[in-house]
Amino acid sequence: MTTDAAKPGPARSGLPISILLAGLSIGFFVVVALATGEVSQLSGQGIVGLLQRMVALGLVSIGQTFVILVGSIDLSVAALISAVAVLASHIMQGDPAMILPAILICLGLCLAVGLVNGALVAYGGINPLIATLGTGLIIQGVLAASFGVLQGAVAREFQVIAYGGLLGVPYSLLLLAVLSLAAGFVLDRTLFGARIYAVGGNPDGARLAGIRTERVTLSAHVVASLFAGASGLYLAARLQSGTPWIGRDGIYDLESIAVTVIGGTILAGGKGGVAGTLAGVLLFASLDAGFNMLGVDAFLKQVLRGAIVIAAVAVHAIRTKEHVA
Amino acid sequence: MTTVPLPSSRRAAGIALNAGLVIFVVLYAAIALLQPNYLEPGLFMNFLRRAAPLLILACGQLYVILTGGFDLSMGAVATLVVLAASILINGDPDATWAVIGTLYVMGIAVGLVNGLVVAFLKVPSIITTLGTMLLVNGLALAWSGGAARGDLPDNFRNLGRLVWRGVPVIGTLPLAVVVIAGFVALAWWGLNGTVYGKRALAVGDNPRAAELAGTPVAVTRILAFVVSAVSAVTAGILLGGFSGVSVNAGEGLELQAIAACVIGGAQLLGGRGSIWSAVFGALSLFALFTLLNILGLPQALRDSIQGLILIAAVGASMWRSRKRN
Amino acid sequence: MTAALSMSGISKAFPGVRALDNVDFDCLPGEVHAICGENGAGKSTLMKILGGSYRPDAGTIQLAGTTVHFTHPRQAAEAGISIIHQELSLLPHRTVAENIFMGREIARRGLLDKAAMRRKAAQLLGRIGAEIDPQALVSSLSIAMQQLVEIAKALLLDARIIVMDEPTAALDERGSRTLLTLVQNLRREGVSIVYISHRMPEVMAIADRITILKDGKKVWTRPRDAAPVGEIVRAMVGRDLDDFYPAPPSSPPGAALLAVQDGTNAAVQDVAFTVRAGEIVGVAGLEDSGKGALAQALVGDAPFSSGTITLRGKPVTLRAPRQATAAGIGYLPGDRKREGLALHQSVRDNALLTLRSMAGLLARPQGGAFASNVIDGKLREMDVRAADFGQEIGTLSGGNQQKAIIVRWLAQASDILVFVEPTRGIDIAAKAAIYETMRSFADSGRGIVVVSSDMPELIGVADRILVMHRGRISGELPRGASEEDIMHLALGLADQPHREVHA
Repeated sequence: MTTDAAKPGPARSGLPISILLAGLSIGFFVVVALATGEVSQLSGQGIVGLLQRMVALGLVSIGQTFVILVGSIDLSVAALISAVAVLASHIMQGDPAMILPAILICLGLCLAVGLVNGALVAYGGINPLIATLGTGLIIQGVLAASFGVLQGAVAREFQVIAYGGLLGVPYSLLLLAVLSLAAGFVLDRTLFGARIYAVGGNPDGARLAGIRTERVTLSAHVVASLFAGASGLYLAARLQSGTPWIGRDGIYDLESIAVTVIGGTILAGGKGGVAGTLAGVLLFASLDAGFNMLGVDAFLKQVLRGAIVIAAVAVHAIRTKEHVA
Repeated sequence: MTTVPLPSSRRAAGIALNAGLVIFVVLYAAIALLQPNYLEPGLFMNFLRRAAPLLILACGQLYVILTGGFDLSMGAVATLVVLAASILINGDPDATWAVIGTLYVMGIAVGLVNGLVVAFLKVPSIITTLGTMLLVNGLALAWSGGAARGDLPDNFRNLGRLVWRGVPVIGTLPLAVVVIAGFVALAWWGLNGTVYGKRALAVGDNPRAAELAGTPVAVTRILAFVVSAVSAVTAGILLGGFSGVSVNAGEGLELQAIAACVIGGAQLLGGRGSIWSAVFGALSLFALFTLLNILGLPQALRDSIQGLILIAAVGASMWRSRKRN
Repeated sequence: MTAALSMSGISKAFPGVRALDNVDFDCLPGEVHAICGENGAGKSTLMKILGGSYRPDAGTIQLAGTTVHFTHPRQAAEAGISIIHQELSLLPHRTVAENIFMGREIARRGLLDKAAMRRKAAQLLGRIGAEIDPQALVSSLSIAMQQLVEIAKALLLDARIIVMDEPTAALDERGSRTLLTLVQNLRREGVSIVYISHRMPEVMAIADRITILKDGKKVWTRPRDAAPVGEIVRAMVGRDLDDFYPAPPSSPPGAALLAVQDGTNAAVQDVAFTVRAGEIVGVAGLEDSGKGALAQALVGDAPFSSGTITLRGKPVTLRAPRQATAAGIGYLPGDRKREGLALHQSVRDNALLTLRSMAGLLARPQGGAFASNVIDGKLREMDVRAADFGQEIGTLSGGNQQKAIIVRWLAQASDILVFVEPTRGIDIAAKAAIYETMRSFADSGRGIVVVSSDMPELIGVADRILVMHRGRISGELPRGASEEDIMHLALGLADQPHREVHA
């Protein structure tokens, strides 16, 4: 590198990317609602419905933001979501007494998966794309092979998470809000957050500064897995029983990465945050709701999703002068 | 340090070649131990015939892997090929060859999109090709209405299932094996008979250095994705031949192709590997699947096995390089 | 006085290499102790052991008389040792304050006290006389400023021992002077400084004692006054400085090869100069003078947005490195590992990269000029030393790697080579060989543009030196100019920036 290559100037003034994205999303939603005459979508209930579309993807994306910030990535979340949903409904078998044990066991599984992912990446030095693709495949295979004996349904009381609410605000939305704030707080105000940015921004520098980088990476992976677990529990509550394919069909792996990147977190790590990610999730939710209002057929919706993911990442990536592969 | 250079060294390549070959021989020996008739030329030819799609996909995937990327869209392309072929030909044998031409044009278009997006929009290939995977899958499903439609005539299906009998020495010769031989020869020539292979390795190793040395980096990458897509079309045609029309004909094949290359010693993220990595890696993986089948393990566990292989292979190469330092 | 640091009998072996052999080293409080040695002499290994990155096979480390054992860089840091590495270890997207406190955040029960960190950061920056806003993003600072942030980081730890590993490698003259002043101040505060550098004038200016390492062994340690530069160089390489630079050419330069008129882009303005056949043209300037951008423009990496370039009288457009390569311009980037080499490919393949990249796609990779024996001959001619040219180029020394890149462009029969920092991080013997090659390349009727921050290098090897200041060429100096002449122009002190006039 030449020593005097052009340096980036100070941060560009202007609106933060999260606000820009949120405005864009809401604008799209409103325009489509007005254009299709579905004005009821703009009522309080309609908006709540829109926001509720954010929950599943939002939860998993918050976790994904942690691993991407630390310079890693997690492709195993989709399989883990399925595993948690299946396991939760199998353990509960409709019995409300089993709600707590089921949640604990599911989160225990997530902890274990997060530790394995983190250990492979941080201590094994295995490329995170490969490591988490691998663990995701392992989970997916075991799940598909053993689904026959893992049937069940969650307790009716558990479904309150998805369908109940407080003063018209669904519990699920409150859960997302609380966990988002908590995650934002952790990243911005705590030692752990500062370490995540340090390790993601410059792993060698962080190590030389005395940070135990492996532990930070490992912890970020645990966080990602736990958030994927939260997403899986929510989906189980909504669908009453899990199947081994809900994670994959929801494309939560790709979409959580996409919204994180759209929200301004860079794939190399060390820059970004939860606010941007949530704005990215809102964008996807409004697109989804908009397509529904427009009556776009399910397969075509998939085509559009694929195109939007690429386009959205491209908007951020195209300015980089560096090579990507 | 000695200053007299030796004439040439093929040791590194030799070891890689032997690793894949050795694994294949060991696995095939295990199969033969359980089912001795696998040693008959006819059954071996049949084994090759069934392994043909994976082997061809692995050759295409290898091109992308050498340049440092991934192609996750090849399974979707294979599915599209199968569905499109049956819709377009619709049982009319006279249409077969024209439609096959059309299929290659479609495949090359997908490859070009992948390559152009990665090379110019700078979207990482893992996200680009996941996006095109969604897109192509959605298109295939939207086109076919979500179910197998139309019909494949015999002259099309023969490409995958025709077997010549009474051939001297080997007894039987499936057409698919001839297709393999032709495709591997072409893929070998591309990497070893032209300067393309050396350019691809340099691009995968250090794209910035390659660019400054005058290498056409974008063209090299785009070509790799086109070769990969062409291999997906070829594999799709064979699949349509012996498995018939189905909406998930190509599902998961992209990961199998990547796993195959890794088993054969190609390095993910570029810079190392040969066509024999793909060939023997694919044969090893297919032998492993066959072995698991014979042992009566559920099909669904294939995913898990691939996950383990990916992690183990990359872990082993990490361990080796650490030991060297 | 008890030594602040005392390392005795340190040995360390890596597979196949004895990196350190029974080395003793000590540093008194308030002393600047310089370590000199060629690349591979063991300097970095010794410092990595001190910093806790490596564990020694034998030997002991004592800090103020107490024996210590480090297994992680954190322990060394806690013991008051701070290492400022050659490569900056900063977080570009974070603020200066966040960087200074990386790994040392002020926190209570895991919660950050950001206000306290900002205050303390401002204090530390004030102490080293750096006018930097603690809230500024590091990516908005110049390299020199970033180096100061690194030093503030070291001071935060209240380090008693600061190791500086080639701290001025990425700095220009102005930045280096600031740094050297700072070193003097730290010494006055009683901090022990271990100073590793290739730049003799700096070492002579600030070191109290000098230790020479060669091949993993200590040659001697002497007070500065007992160690003239000549002896240092002789101890490092076993030869004199005199036969270091090649003799100037005997014949005057020929016709114009490359001419630039009004070259302008974001980083340079109205650049105009000519390179003639047989000439080596040096480009000097401070870090942000645009000298690197000029090189990037010549090779099409960051092209001129306006202006004309003519090659042998014909106008050419250079919008991409590939176009420049086709036009006969070769590039040796300043950062070999990131921009020059495909590290895991063989020496041979690296040397053939450009030839194979410019050939038709269907050309055979081992045919004709690409044949192993042909390129091996060229590599041997350049004296590239490798056990086997089929081995990965990453295993070679920096000097041999640089020579292999030169072979790449010689094989392509380039007319003009653009060198950036051609000998950065290369040992003295390889340096001399590279200068020799540059000279003979020019003498064969071709031209070289060499961009460097190393002024003695430019003075020794260039036939003319263009000096840049704020994106413009502020003057041109003939062979025989002094460092003062260059600095004068580089600082923009010339009254009338004189433009080169060529027929």
